[in-house]
Amino acid sequence: MARVRPSDTQPLLPLDRIIVRDAPSDESIEVDVLFVGGGPAGLAGAIELAHLVEADAKAAGGLGEISIAVLEKSAALGEHSLSGSVVNPIAFRRLFPDLKDEDFPFRQPVKHEAVYLLTKNRSFRLPTPPTMRNHGNYTASLCEMVRWLGKKAEELGVDVFAGFPAEKLLVSGERVIGVRTAPSGLDRDGRQSSSYTPGTDVVARVTALAEGSRGTLAEAYIQWQEIKSENPQIYALGVKEIWETKKPLDTVIHTLGWPLPGDAFGGSFMYPLEPNVVGLGLVVGLDYRKTNLDTHGLLQEMKRHPLFRPYLEGGEMVEWGAKTIPEGGFYSLPDRRFGHGVVILGDSAGFVNVPSLKGIHYAMQSGIFAARTIFDALKKGETSAPYLASYDELVRDSFITDDIFRTRNMRLAFKSGFVLGGFKSVMMTLTGGRLFGKRIPIETDADVWKQARSPKALQPDGELTFSKVDAVFKSGNATRDTIPSHLITEGDVDREVAEMYASMCPAGVYELVDGKLRVNAPNCVDCKATDVLGPRWMPREGGSGPSYKRM
Amino acid sequence: MSNVLAVLEQRAGALKQVSHEVLTAARALADALGGSVDALVIGSTGVDATGLGAYGADRVTLVEDEELSLYQPDVFNEVVTAQVRAGDYAAIILAATAMGKDLAPRVAARLDCPLAVDVTAIDGSGGITVTRPAYSGKAIYTAEVTATPCVISVRPNAFTPSENAREAAVETRPAPRPDLRTRTVRVNEPAGERLDVAEASIVVSGGRGLKGPENFKLVEDLADAFGNAAVGASRAVVDAGWRPHADQVGQTGKTVSPQLYIAVGISGAIQHLAGMRTSKVIVAINKDKDSPIFKVADYGVVGDLFEIVPRLTEEIRKVRGG
Amino acid sequence: MKIAVCLKRVPDTETRIKIGADGRSIDEDGVKFILNPYDEYAVEQALQLKDSAGTGEVTAISLGSSASQETIRTALAMGVDRGILLETDALPLDPVPIGKALAAELGSGDYDLIFFGKVAIDDYSHAVGTIVSELLGIPSVSAVGRLEIADGKGTAEREIEGGVEVVEFSLPAVLTAEKGLNEPRYPALRGIMMAKKKPLEIKPVELEEGGLSVVELSVPPARPAGRIVGEGADAVPALVEALRTEAKVI
Repeated sequence: MARVRPSDTQPLLPLDRIIVRDAPSDESIEVDVLFVGGGPAGLAGAIELAHLVEADAKAAGGLGEISIAVLEKSAALGEHSLSGSVVNPIAFRRLFPDLKDEDFPFRQPVKHEAVYLLTKNRSFRLPTPPTMRNHGNYTASLCEMVRWLGKKAEELGVDVFAGFPAEKLLVSGERVIGVRTAPSGLDRDGRQSSSYTPGTDVVARVTALAEGSRGTLAEAYIQWQEIKSENPQIYALGVKEIWETKKPLDTVIHTLGWPLPGDAFGGSFMYPLEPNVVGLGLVVGLDYRKTNLDTHGLLQEMKRHPLFRPYLEGGEMVEWGAKTIPEGGFYSLPDRRFGHGVVILGDSAGFVNVPSLKGIHYAMQSGIFAARTIFDALKKGETSAPYLASYDELVRDSFITDDIFRTRNMRLAFKSGFVLGGFKSVMMTLTGGRLFGKRIPIETDADVWKQARSPKALQPDGELTFSKVDAVFKSGNATRDTIPSHLITEGDVDREVAEMYASMCPAGVYELVDGKLRVNAPNCVDCKATDVLGPRWMPREGGSGPSYKRM
Repeated sequence: MSNVLAVLEQRAGALKQVSHEVLTAARALADALGGSVDALVIGSTGVDATGLGAYGADRVTLVEDEELSLYQPDVFNEVVTAQVRAGDYAAIILAATAMGKDLAPRVAARLDCPLAVDVTAIDGSGGITVTRPAYSGKAIYTAEVTATPCVISVRPNAFTPSENAREAAVETRPAPRPDLRTRTVRVNEPAGERLDVAEASIVVSGGRGLKGPENFKLVEDLADAFGNAAVGASRAVVDAGWRPHADQVGQTGKTVSPQLYIAVGISGAIQHLAGMRTSKVIVAINKDKDSPIFKVADYGVVGDLFEIVPRLTEEIRKVRGG
Repeated sequence: MKIAVCLKRVPDTETRIKIGADGRSIDEDGVKFILNPYDEYAVEQALQLKDSAGTGEVTAISLGSSASQETIRTALAMGVDRGILLETDALPLDPVPIGKALAAELGSGDYDLIFFGKVAIDDYSHAVGTIVSELLGIPSVSAVGRLEIADGKGTAEREIEGGVEVVEFSLPAVLTAEKGLNEPRYPALRGIMMAKKKPLEIKPVELEEGGLSVVELSVPPARPAGRIVGEGADAVPALVEALRTEAKVI
């Protein structure tokens, strides 16, 4: 039987295109600190830094005016932000000690929660594992949280530039000196159209890479600097829908089992945002073993299950989105998350705790720590690596590392299959991670062999289940059609590989037409799954991609 | 204050169809208010105003000047406002055409009276209440007119012309010749180029069902049969290189809302529907009766488009010719 | 050349419209607002004219709530020199009082040209620019798709049913921009940065109520279910008949 190893046909990350040594152009913009990515990590960092600068000015600390900028690739803040989400409020509380939980942009406190094991037609309630208990947490929309944080940042004088993806990392020697934004107005063949606008160089004393999951510049920096980690980073793909429902939901629901095949790791969630608005989704590790696994298709199938169907039937799917999640945990963290003039935050660094399904508060907390380090460095007037090293120490001594270390092997245990993995993970929980505590070595997702299987056809009904094209529409994707492709493919690939891409991509970017791979680049919703297993994702014209509202 | 002034539109001496709609709306309102309908036609000499009584005009005033073969906003405005000031009108009704959309605000500004634009219904029982769409047709305002006279432009096709015969007195007057602040110097006829899909009032679009770029001839022939129709395309065929990007109708292409949209061999993915669902009338021709396009279509024909479309072209030619 | 561009903050075209609790306006919660797309053409045209004149000033003026400052900043980021917000809480449905408030500001500005978008995509009045010209007693052309300005005179083209009207006028004048007049530029990063430092004056204004009182804002009735006229070419006569007599579109 044919097998496929995705890495065999995966182009390398084009470091020479991403890391450039050009002197910044005369038209460059200079700031003191630049956060690349307007998500929870970058915005929390910008806010904390602005707070510290403000306090310094009040105390006549002598630092003077510090310009802080945030670059975000989506057209408006929050439009590329997607999460479950049930959020732990701790980082919000630390960022805004004077505010109360009611002031934060959460939807509702978690009242009830339930975990189910699904079979095709039935569901079995399981005891909620300690790592998944959410008492004291809130359901929320990451889009809304990000927009709220953005307002706060702007009120503090931070320059937030939405619609400007950072495309290149500007370096001088070993030092990061800023970024170049992506140009806009290129036509399909990459020629300049009448609305062409070149990229802008933004030069900064410190560049904080907070691009989110599988950040291109962060990846490039890590490769360029040959920063190691004990395990490679691995990823999952989550596909999520927002539904306005007829039947109210008051419980945070997680499920395991069906519709996932036994050799895939993942699970589903359904969270109430309002009594009659739910977010539901399915997350699947990209180390799955058969080429025809289709996370979007599985989610469509899942909605027909008696556990979900009664809530959704008669309702309306109002939004759809997809995003990868770094799942490697403790052993996949890069050995250092700082360098000369640079720090790496949030999902770009891999601060996600898979067993508790949490990343937002770690991302924000990493931003807060980075801000404190940067502030100290600015005070000393020096932003080379030794002056930014304390960022790693702050993270190491905090709940971020504690939490991620405690669950260090739970996700990795599932590499040995669902049943054995489940057993091991229970034992780990009981022993605080000590049992089976030795690092389980893993390979990258792209190195995991997959058995070739023909794609499964999905027959969407347009009411409960949707095709990928319809899904992309519901993501609010209005990318210009004449945009050049931002995906780097490896020429002609085998049918099996093309079918794997077509199955994997939730947005219908890849199609097999007359036996050849066709790339519908404007469909892309920037989930980055393709970048993990196949064609490389590169930053493209600002404002491209989805426009999530309540994801 | 119970009479209604209907400002009609003519082209080359012939009244436009929409003028009958304006008269119908004016008649209904005047009846509700207990007043009469004055029709006003401004233009070059020789406008044929016979038959206006049939649609409800009590009096017809032709304001003529051989200089007025084209729309001259300053003259038209002066004629209308002078007539309103000399009369006793509750409402001035015109059509929300290119001319009406330009003239109505001028009249309202000069008379300092309310303006309701693109109105789809008028209720005269108990004052004047108008209905008009907003937010790209996603919401509808109902508003009460609190001061008269008011200027109302009615959306073309919203009022069905109906006959309501009476003897109409016809009076002809010369037009004033004020200084022209803006002067319309000519009208260029379209240079045979096809209209843009976003602007045409009829759009015929083709999709993958056409099987190949050469078969777009069928779609083009149908568009030609209508006279002034545009040719659109689905994303699939644009991506396949059959048609230029400028023709693409859909969420990532152009959004259109013509009077008539004909989808030929298009299955109707949501992203396509997003670009044309606000069309007034949608016709779908597709071989698969379960295609989503039939869910939004007002009229559907199931079957082989290679037989249906040529037949439709032939029938439309007959209608247009006859 | 002194040019004014009038702007409106409107809900994004893709916004799902929900009726507010008062039943007379939309629920703005969660609605994304943008610069009215037709106003972008107006801004672009003003900037191009200033650029080709080599000298001059472009002023963006918006009538609306405090949030319209954001809309003005978008225009400033595109290259407009300064902004004026005529601040008011709510806009009436009747465009005449809106035109009066703008004319009062514009009349004292000594502008050579005043641009508007031809229509705002929220209330679709298609009227305010023309009303302003009438109140100021200066020429105007609405829905301009092509424009030439030289020596204090202008020629504009506007599409009408079945043709293109060619209109001549002298300056000062009001022009309302149609789609296709130009290709609006994207604000550059540097432009956005500079926009923050450009002057934006806020003037509170009181508007007349106007003569239209909104009774209700409602969602249109669902489209009546369509029907399959028939199968195959034999169904064509029935289709044509329906289009003629029921739908009345041909």
